[in-house]
Amino acid sequence: MVDRYVDAVQDESHMATERELAPPMSIAALSLTGVVQDLQIPGGTLHVGQEFQFSGAVSVGATLECVATLKTNSIRGGWRFMVVDSVVTEGGNRLVMTGKSTITLPEDLAGGGAGK
Amino acid sequence: MNQGDALPSVEKSVTQERVERYAEASGDFNPIHVDDEFASQSQFGGRIAHGMMIAATISEMMTTAFGRAWLESGRMKIRFRAPVFPGEQIRTGGTVKSVRERDEGVEIACAVQVTKDNGETAISGDAVVTVEAG
Repeated sequence: MVDRYVDAVQDESHMATERELAPPMSIAALSLTGVVQDLQIPGGTLHVGQEFQFSGAVSVGATLECVATLKTNSIRGGWRFMVVDSVVTEGGNRLVMTGKSTITLPEDLAGGGAGK
Repeated sequence: MNQGDALPSVEKSVTQERVERYAEASGDFNPIHVDDEFASQSQFGGRIAHGMMIAATISEMMTTAFGRAWLESGRMKIRFRAPVFPGEQIRTGGTVKSVRERDEGVEIACAVQVTKDNGETAISGDAVVTVEAG
């Protein structure tokens, strides 16, 4: 996955070219995708804000676990806003990343899982 | 690094082919990025790049500037301000806002942004990293 990610984003930083450590944003991207899929958020969702804190380098091949919590789910001006906190650990206890994602979508698209 | 120093900038061309490769790698197949018919009916009138794909250039810049310290202590808070369309060029840059001694090292706070070739800001925010003193 990391090779494909680095290829897609064309990351030319030293850490990425060594390909031994995962770029931290590859972990963030996977966790966000998991959140969107698990919440059954429909297509058309827009990402409006993001916070990250990286706590440790991750070697390629590591197994990670992401726990996400829907912190806010509100409607303003015809738009649904959701704030999702995520915590990524390696080996069940080593914290590697925390994140806070703010995503929005038109209320008329939200209908399904996002509103529940 | 000192206050006011510029970070090493990153420039990329955003193409639909890269957007589709990013969708494959991340698993994010939101149709706003990969379905031309769906995206043409959106408020943007066409497909847009993943925000996280554009934000990756900020992390690339911070990794180039600070190495492993970014992977182990980096913090970032960003806002996605404008979409980036396939065919556009982006330039990612940053400036050191402050350098402070902390118990755990030297904390360097930077203002970061991604700018499109039309001058519009796609992403803006802050990134903070702690490096070893000395």
